[in-house]
Amino acid sequence: MLSERKLGFLTCPTSFLGLSSRAVSKRHTPSADLWQQAKTLSMKILVCIKQVADSSETLQVDERTGLLSYEENTAFRMNRFDEFTLEEALLIKERFPGTMVDALSVGPERVSATLQRAMGMGADHGIHILNRAGGYTSPFTAASLVAECARARNYDLIMTGVMAEDTMASQTGQLIAALLDLPCATSVIKEQVRPESADIAVEREIEGGSRETVQLKLPAVLTIQPGINFPRYPSFSKVMRARTYPQELIRAEDLEIQESRESCRGVRIPEASSQGVFIEGSPAEKARKVMNILHEKSLLS
Amino acid sequence: MENRTVYIIAELRKGCITQETYELVSFARVIGKGKNPVFLLLGKNVNEQAREISKKTGCYTLVLLGDHLEHYNALSYAHALMEILQEEEAAWVCLPHTSMGYDLAPRLAVLLKAACVTGVESAGDGSLGRPIHSGRFMEEIVPKTPRVVVTLLPGAFRPCEETAGPAGEVKVMRAAFTEAPSQTLGIAESLHRDSALKDAEVIVSAGRGIGNKENISLIKKLAAVFSRSAVGASRSACDLGWVEHKHQIGTTGQTVSPKLYIACGISGAFQHVSGIRGAQTIVAINTDRHAPIFQVAHYGIVEDLTTFIPILLDELSVKGR
Repeated sequence: MLSERKLGFLTCPTSFLGLSSRAVSKRHTPSADLWQQAKTLSMKILVCIKQVADSSETLQVDERTGLLSYEENTAFRMNRFDEFTLEEALLIKERFPGTMVDALSVGPERVSATLQRAMGMGADHGIHILNRAGGYTSPFTAASLVAECARARNYDLIMTGVMAEDTMASQTGQLIAALLDLPCATSVIKEQVRPESADIAVEREIEGGSRETVQLKLPAVLTIQPGINFPRYPSFSKVMRARTYPQELIRAEDLEIQESRESCRGVRIPEASSQGVFIEGSPAEKARKVMNILHEKSLLS
Repeated sequence: MENRTVYIIAELRKGCITQETYELVSFARVIGKGKNPVFLLLGKNVNEQAREISKKTGCYTLVLLGDHLEHYNALSYAHALMEILQEEEAAWVCLPHTSMGYDLAPRLAVLLKAACVTGVESAGDGSLGRPIHSGRFMEEIVPKTPRVVVTLLPGAFRPCEETAGPAGEVKVMRAAFTEAPSQTLGIAESLHRDSALKDAEVIVSAGRGIGNKENISLIKKLAAVFSRSAVGASRSACDLGWVEHKHQIGTTGQTVSPKLYIACGISGAFQHVSGIRGAQTIVAINTDRHAPIFQVAHYGIVEDLTTFIPILLDELSVKGR
């Protein structure tokens, strides 16, 4: 938290977290205004990132477990909503130099590739909560792991995407906030963070394109709406360099969390409820059939 | 399980009870085995809306009044609701899966030590069904606690019929104010909308599946074939910068009801589909035969639109003459 870190800074300047290690090693005795600036204007941000299958077309229901199974050659990537989230954290870092951005992901070994990409985009540090438990991971379990990991790290801001493309629950950020007893704003489409007053003003996107303005005290949790920015595309060399960056590994079983309150009975393919029809034939035949339908319905004027 | 009280947190938008609130009644009766739910309505000056609920549904309606409840805020709502809900050892708490519902549900669930299941579409046999992977699959979630918080996808259930019976009782309580580290300051109405979408008889819409910004010209050409037409887009096409946000259709964009809606390269997540329910005829073009958009389309065409739209345009120009 800002206040505690201020204290830490004054008593023990070299271990101040808001300054990058490079800045510290360059100047063992920072000037007074650098002290002042760093004390008030840098932040510590945690960005939660989920790895998802690149395409759900390759997924199948495993008849043995009743859950989704991934083909061996399934490609994985960063949840798109989290790309916007990481980008927004990096934009905050650009506004307030000295800000540290941690990227965190929960999952099996393969997740570390997505953390690598996050660091290639510009995250300072990668935290991998290694969760080898197969089967169903509820939003509550994932959020509990993140919350336990984040609890003692005094983040000013914890950010997640508004939802994951695969499970579409829109719960994780709000659960983390509730578990850590922090205020939270969801569907954030604009933010104005003010480290100097330890608060943040946001606009939430609500139904019909309207926006709700919310002011939160820091530390706080935000879930980010896509469209808030244009996520950067890291250069190949940056991504390659990120392969050499160490990642902090925490084993899920070493974090003490409560048991999940939901279980999954199974995944199924929804019955085709559509009354619709597929128009078949060659492309030209399909186009003619569409024409005829539009004519019959007097939609061509 | 059947003896649990079923609560509905009512939702207000621009001072009116939303349709999604009434859809929850139908859902609540399914999980409550026919029993009537109890409504909780929060606000500053909402007695009239409470009477509307009790009259339309015949349900007991509890109003929590407070100046600090004028606008929705997760912390002040959660605090006020806990006064009531923490008394219940076992209960269903139902909210719409909207910017209010999914914002509030996880907070309530943690405070109540309740299971939390969001974006639900169906209920039955002890589990709740919810679409995943944009609707390509459904997962069945079993809540394991006596208290359960649920958010229901808009449009998954029909709004309840107006009751012919007597109005439900309305009870008004004052909610105590507590200082919270978050404050809702107000709501700004959307300024940038394309009014052409509202009046259009034909809308041709682009999704992520159109592949790149250049292909928008195909969408525009197709739209231009029709008079009183407009170009629409899915959220992700707008977020990619391919189409301006004022063209966006769906929950956070506009709701449209044209005579003809042509969805091009749109996968069909509920956020988009809920904005086109009023369309009379939906034609979908997508390369993926299993895309959820084909569940709502009247006519489905599995083709690459970069090759198909030019063929369709040729056909239209021949017939049009």
